[in-house]
Amino acid sequence: MSRMHRNGPIALLFHTLVVGFVLAPLVVICLVAFTPANTLTLPTTQVSLRWFAAVFEHPDFVASFLNSLWVAAIAATIAVVLAVAAGLALDRYDFRGRAALNALFLSPLMIPHLVLGVALLRLFALLGATGSLVWLTAGHIVVVAPYVLRLVLAALSGLDRSAEQAAVTLGASSWIVFRRITVPMILPGITGGWLLAFINSFDELTMSIFITSPATVTLPVRMYMYATESIDPMMAAVSALMIAVTAAAMLLLDRIFGLDKILVGQG
Amino acid sequence: MGFLTLDGLTKRYGEAAAVSDVSLGVAKGEFISLLGPSGCGKTTTLQMIAGLVEPSAGRITLDGRDITHEKPDRRGLGIVFQSYALFPHMTVAQNVSFGLEMRKVPRAERDTRVKQALALVQLAALADRYPRQLSGGQRQRVAVARALVIDPPVLLLDEPLSNLDAKLREEMQFELRGIQRRVGTTTIMVTHDQSEALSMSDRVVVMEQGRIMQVDAPYRLYESPATPFISTFVGKMNRLPGVWRQGGIEAGGRLLPCDGAGLAEGAAAVLAIRPEKIGLTAPGGGVIDGCIKARFFLGSAWFFTVETSAGLVGVSLPNAGAEPACEGEAVGLAWSSASAKAGRPEGVLSA
Ligand SMILES: Nc1ncnc2c1ncn2[C@@H]1O[C@H](COP(=O)(O)OP(=O)(O)O)[C@@H](O)[C@H]1O
Ligand SMILES: [Mg+2]
Repeated sequence: MSRMHRNGPIALLFHTLVVGFVLAPLVVICLVAFTPANTLTLPTTQVSLRWFAAVFEHPDFVASFLNSLWVAAIAATIAVVLAVAAGLALDRYDFRGRAALNALFLSPLMIPHLVLGVALLRLFALLGATGSLVWLTAGHIVVVAPYVLRLVLAALSGLDRSAEQAAVTLGASSWIVFRRITVPMILPGITGGWLLAFINSFDELTMSIFITSPATVTLPVRMYMYATESIDPMMAAVSALMIAVTAAAMLLLDRIFGLDKILVGQG
Repeated sequence: MGFLTLDGLTKRYGEAAAVSDVSLGVAKGEFISLLGPSGCGKTTTLQMIAGLVEPSAGRITLDGRDITHEKPDRRGLGIVFQSYALFPHMTVAQNVSFGLEMRKVPRAERDTRVKQALALVQLAALADRYPRQLSGGQRQRVAVARALVIDPPVLLLDEPLSNLDAKLREEMQFELRGIQRRVGTTTIMVTHDQSEALSMSDRVVVMEQGRIMQVDAPYRLYESPATPFISTFVGKMNRLPGVWRQGGIEAGGRLLPCDGAGLAEGAAAVLAIRPEKIGLTAPGGGVIDGCIKARFFLGSAWFFTVETSAGLVGVSLPNAGAEPACEGEAVGLAWSSASAKAGRPEGVLSA
């Protein structure tokens, strides 16, 4: 008997088309970034780094890039802390309002960022809190925390509680059980959540437009502002940089934990 | 009383009692099995001893000290979980060392004790592996080493062998018992496998629906089961209904010899006899005749079901190297009256 092939030629073609469709624009924008010309064209005869240089000659772009990095890193980290605490409560305890709390924690996924942006703008104005990086980050935490919570909850529900019980009977206090057993066992969920949160915060535009001030413009907002006036290959260079940052984060996590384990679930 | 005593231990979940009024004394160094069908409250009992489940009522004392409400991390008992519950992110050595770290044992002593514990379970060579790199039997032994390394006064095992395949399970029965003998730790093992309980324990505690039904040495449990349920749960038992007459039970038109103290003449009764206590003879040579309906070869023994006028009777014969009677053959069944016992149909019944 011949073995069945899991991927027939049609399936293979389909996969190739899907991957090509997803990757093609990214590849094109990265190539365009190396053009020596003044318009968005593919470099044909020679490659140039002039548009990358141009990015770094725009201090506002550099500042926005750093803003975005900071906001994303801090929002993702705080979201992880909140999500682990909330996840433990939701997973371990049956209390009144548990379902409501779960829905509340996940609602930012359902609310359009546009609405959230307008609402936060009003709120911050009432609080007199506009224009600060702190409040911008707070907005981002609201948006990204649900992603982390999802992954943390999935990791917690797959956790073998008897390992924690074993640690307790071996003499571990609750804090030690949490730190040495629970956290390491859900670490793939935590890091995966952090990564998703970071990426989502890093390219969040719709909400940020409303709640950034001139001093706290994030990179996507800066690009948007710039692109409304002119489109030149510098946009491609910035895009290429953004792709590079995201890819670097992915690679790093893959090296440390194995990405398929994080994104597909516990291995 | 005992080294470890349970006194009226009860656990209720809402209305239902998972464990009711369990009292038991365990001597130092003893190996006790809690045996019973799934859902009868064995794990709950074990977890109350461990402190992982809070009893609804009753008392637990260890070496004269009341530990009923002591926190599990203070009891210092060793536990092996059914799933082994190894820490997946730690190596074998780190798993075993964890309990010693919690006890703030100095590094050097920790290392020696981990080595000793791993040597005890014959895993010294795998100290740096992770649990996912081990076979089921090896994981099981890591779990045992991890529980024993802290020198617990009592070792609690929850179905420790149920995840192993049959061959390995048999080997581990001997190995686990051997380890327990060498270390001398008082041990309570939960199991639903009667052969495991019989072969490993000093005493077996049979539980049914949250209650203790009988506590006895394996041999006595097998020979004198306290209830009909135990007689069929522990080993196989033929039960032939009939009427008590002087010297035996009348069933299927025959007087079947058996022991029947305390029964009134003419009372309804049940004869109970183990399959291996019955011999096959030529027709007319035994106490009742029958016809072999089915024959199973079990390797070390043959098992027959024989149709008689008193009902279906199971007969087990050791494999003596020659092929015995075939299906369809007429045979006689023989037994001595001392190996069969009669009792009231619903009541206490022994073999
Ligand atoms: N946390 C719990 N909540 C409600 N009922 C439970 C709980 N734990 C066990 N039970 C019930 O208690 C009974 C005994 O369970 P268990 O001790 O696990 O049985 P065993 O280990 O003998 O199979 C079962 O009927 C089970 O459904
Ligand atoms: Mg159980």
